[in-house]
Amino acid sequence: MDRADIKKALKDPHKWGEKYSLWATYFCTGCGIMEIPPVLTARWDAERFGVKPMATPRQSNLFLITGYVSIKTLRAIIISYEQMPDPKYAVAFGSCPIDGGLYHTSYNTVNHLDRYLPVDGWIAGCMPRPEAIFIAVTKLWKMIDGEMVNGYKRYKENIDYYRKNQERVLGKEFIDSIPAPAVVKP
Amino acid sequence: MREETIKQDIEKRYDGSCVSVQRRQRIIVSVPKDSVFSLVAYMKEEGFGHLSFITCVDWIKEGEFELVYHLASYQDGIHAMVKTRIDRADPTYLSLVPLFENAQTYEREIHEMFGVRFVGNGRLIPFLLTNWQEMPPMKKDFDTEAYAERMFEHE
Amino acid sequence: MNDIDTKIKERELTLYFGPQHIGMVGNFGITLTVKGDTIQEAVATPGFLHRGFEKMLENVRYLQGFPFVCRINVMDPDPNEQVYAMAIEELAGLEVPPRAHYLRTMALEMSRLTSHLAWLWAYGNELGFDTIGHWSMVQRDYFIDLFDMIAGGRVYHMYIWPGGVRRDMPEGFEAKMRQTLDGLEGSLRDYDSTFFNNRVFRKRASGIGVLTQEDALRFGVTGSCLRATGIKRDVRIEEPYAAYADLDFEVPTMTDGDAYARAIVIRKEIEQSISIIRQVLDKLPTGPAWNRVPNPFKWKIPPGETYVRMESARGELGAYAVSDGSEKIHRIAYRVPSYPHGILALETLLRGMNIADVGHMLLSLNIAAPEIDR
Repeated sequence: MDRADIKKALKDPHKWGEKYSLWATYFCTGCGIMEIPPVLTARWDAERFGVKPMATPRQSNLFLITGYVSIKTLRAIIISYEQMPDPKYAVAFGSCPIDGGLYHTSYNTVNHLDRYLPVDGWIAGCMPRPEAIFIAVTKLWKMIDGEMVNGYKRYKENIDYYRKNQERVLGKEFIDSIPAPAVVKP
Repeated sequence: MREETIKQDIEKRYDGSCVSVQRRQRIIVSVPKDSVFSLVAYMKEEGFGHLSFITCVDWIKEGEFELVYHLASYQDGIHAMVKTRIDRADPTYLSLVPLFENAQTYEREIHEMFGVRFVGNGRLIPFLLTNWQEMPPMKKDFDTEAYAERMFEHE
Repeated sequence: MNDIDTKIKERELTLYFGPQHIGMVGNFGITLTVKGDTIQEAVATPGFLHRGFEKMLENVRYLQGFPFVCRINVMDPDPNEQVYAMAIEELAGLEVPPRAHYLRTMALEMSRLTSHLAWLWAYGNELGFDTIGHWSMVQRDYFIDLFDMIAGGRVYHMYIWPGGVRRDMPEGFEAKMRQTLDGLEGSLRDYDSTFFNNRVFRKRASGIGVLTQEDALRFGVTGSCLRATGIKRDVRIEEPYAAYADLDFEVPTMTDGDAYARAIVIRKEIEQSISIIRQVLDKLPTGPAWNRVPNPFKWKIPPGETYVRMESARGELGAYAVSDGSEKIHRIAYRVPSYPHGILALETLLRGMNIADVGHMLLSLNIAAPEIDR
């Protein structure tokens, strides 16, 4: 680190710590998970970017949704996402969360993930190469610096919109069973 | 050839059955639905001890479901497909769990995907789908593209 | 103190070893009922990855279907393409040139190697051996580079299609392949000393999760789990497909049926796959790499049905296909090897085990969750 970096870090140590230690919740949601082990191991080595897998969502700040989201998985994703502390970033990986991808005619996968969960960035590809993941991480750093990623704030402010869409797909029973207060309006 | 002996055996014992030797190591046995249980039990004694899987085919124009039981004999290396037809409007059938324990999961899936009730299975609880309120999805009259359009293309 | 101890040991709790768990590889759920540290009952809940492939394949034309099928199993995608191609070829009466058979064999064995090396990463990490995970993932990545060279994609290859393969071998492929194979063969000795012959691993895996021969046949288990109990079954020698009839390889078996035996069977299969790919490179015939198929927009296949099967990394993979004379397939059903392993065998073996062995059993039986759900 040179003097300019140290100055920047000391000006806002919170952002500096957050950016360079993005711990991802370990959840293999879809078929995109096959590119994550190469990214985490020695050849591509995500740890030099500060990215590590973390067992519990309560101690992680990055949620990587790797691939398509089926109905049962959406339920588990919502429960995990709401357990993560703020500030948290959700990155959609692959072309399936963007518009359904190859499974857009399937009766069991959702087509647009950002109707149900606030997504901060997308990585296109089927599936994306490890280089694309690292480019996304560096872009995420810049966006954190510029305060452009506020998915967690959007979730709280527009919780009624998200809950309405989640209920449409998951049913009223599940939405009522989410323990309150899960999300507190600012 | 072993396939020919099996063919003659089955056709002699079960009338209404029709066996075709498709090629080496493949035979197709079509029987009326009442004979399936005893035929599968007989084949199990003759060496077909491995139930590979069970499939269901929807012949909507003829108004029937076709159940296909895939049996394999490790000693002869033959794969047999035992087929039978049941009514599509009210599909109920006997479960094969007393003969082959692993039939339970395959019948569970056919129950969920096609709506066939297997009497004697004991575990026909939801399997792959959740919060599902439409008709069984693998039937030919379920339009998956229209359903995806209606359910997932919204604001 | 005694009172509290007994109360804790007799209390039954429900635990969700659900999809979001550090010990879960793939998206699969198991609901456990435990008393203390012992599992009373385990119920597998698949369905987190269900996409309805069999329905989607009925709505597209035959050649449009082949990009779909490799996505049925992300860890071992090429066998699904092979089985689809074999089914269409048998129904339509297509011939495949000999060079394509050899190239298909090479792609299938490479896929088997990448699946086994990914399994080694997952299994090592599950039991706490991180080093072997790093080594095997790196070696696997060199094979993924070779797939990138020949098929254009790292994980989903879409290389084997009805009529042959999509592309012939490019320049420099053979040399790079031989180099990668030599590298893997040389490091197997290190794998043995770090993992397979490790005293801690032997203690952790011997005698755990014993699958007897009767149980294996009762559940319909196939593949390396069956071979670890002593029954020598392999579709490559029972019904040779692609170029396996001309190649010389062994099918390893062990007799104990526990987790250690299953691991050693996979370790020996890695050696055999290396030998098969070398033979393919030595004996590769000349000729075209694919045969032309009819115009895909007008291609109709006469009515018929067929069942084709092959040996994937996990066991017997098969497809039952029915055509009805139109341009789209009437019904295609996949018989996947992880189905009996993941639901029946797993639920039976987990009874009476510790919670720490749940992830262990999941990987020892080599279960791939996307296959079960399709």
